[in-house]
Amino acid sequence: MPELPEPPGDAPRVIDQGSIWILVASPSIWAAHFLISYWVAAVYCAKAPNAAPLMEPRWIAIGLGVFCCAVIAWLAWIAVKRYGGVFLIFEEITESSERGRDKFIGHVSLLLCVLSAVAIVFNIIPGLVLGEC
Amino acid sequence: MEHLFWVLLIGAAVIWCIVIGAAVYAQKASVPDREQQARHFIVWGGAVFPTVVVGALLVWGLVILKDITPNEGDRTIRVDGERWWWRVVYDTDDGPVPTANEIRIPLGETALFKLTADDVIHSFWVPSLGGKMDMIPGRETQLALTPQKLGNWGGLCAEYCGGAHALMRFDTVVMEPDEFDAWLAAQAQPATVDPEDEGYQVFTEEGCGSCHTIRGTDSIGPVGPDLTHFASRERLGAGIYKMTPDNVSDWITDLDNMKPDIDMPSYPHINGARLEALVSFLMSLE
Repeated sequence: MPELPEPPGDAPRVIDQGSIWILVASPSIWAAHFLISYWVAAVYCAKAPNAAPLMEPRWIAIGLGVFCCAVIAWLAWIAVKRYGGVFLIFEEITESSERGRDKFIGHVSLLLCVLSAVAIVFNIIPGLVLGEC
Repeated sequence: MEHLFWVLLIGAAVIWCIVIGAAVYAQKASVPDREQQARHFIVWGGAVFPTVVVGALLVWGLVILKDITPNEGDRTIRVDGERWWWRVVYDTDDGPVPTANEIRIPLGETALFKLTADDVIHSFWVPSLGGKMDMIPGRETQLALTPQKLGNWGGLCAEYCGGAHALMRFDTVVMEPDEFDAWLAAQAQPATVDPEDEGYQVFTEEGCGSCHTIRGTDSIGPVGPDLTHFASRERLGAGIYKMTPDNVSDWITDLDNMKPDIDMPSYPHINGARLEALVSFLMSLE
């Protein structure tokens, strides 16, 4: 008789069992912020002489960046609270269980959240310093 | 900007020594096994420290970039990149002063270059004076340079633009402000040409004036470089040959070898006394 799968851990299952959505979420937010910043700046710089824009594109990129960082902070909170992720692992996660997998995913998600937030901040800095086409 | 170079060089050397030192230390058998400390070291030394350093360098680099791309300077010089030479126009209170292939700027003043391209993308670069800036058809880019030393600094096109790209150079002469003002005033004057001059006759007979302008004469061709003060330039052919009668003579008769691919044709049929007259006429345009 085949072994039954273990019951799921505490972590949410959005797509299906074993979903790793939280891993992909923060880099996706980073990618979206990067692309939108580029698009907004490109359109602004191409059209600005002929139009009266509501605000400079850098403020859009900066505002969007702050919002994205807030969402990433929320994801990090989920990674800590529901997946049991920690920033530094001092003992290897060897346990082959839902709980062990959740902890691993939480840890990786947390690191990706930090990476994505730093990347978004680096994206914003040129806008803060330069702010011209 | 020189500070940036030294800070990067010394910083890189220090970090390299720390990394190699840590590697040598780790190889020692007597190093106690302290995994927790090691993990903290990796996180702080391998993630936090580089992030902060790179972030600080990014901000510093951007501030420098902002300094070299201001919107105003003490004077404006428009440079248009063409295949394969440079159309240069000084904006003065008395109107534009056109010249070509040689840029003169006064010491200590900020020259604002407004850069355009006529045909393909070029890039304006005087390595000794500052960074490079692309010249893009249909757009105007800007670069400000503030020279600190007198001298002749070579400039070049830094974006591959076709056959004679490597021969698309120019001289950037940094002068004392007084000398510069005198030079610019002289450049603004039309040429003094005697219409009966034998060399000028050859110039018009051969149709040179349909491409080249000599201000003060009937030759007003807009295609090639302005020749009004041709012989005042230090070099010929967009900064590649010394301005000597022999080189000018070769330029007219053997252009395919002097600078292949360019639009100006060779005139091998101009020879003897006609060639001599034309060359001495051109060399008189100071």
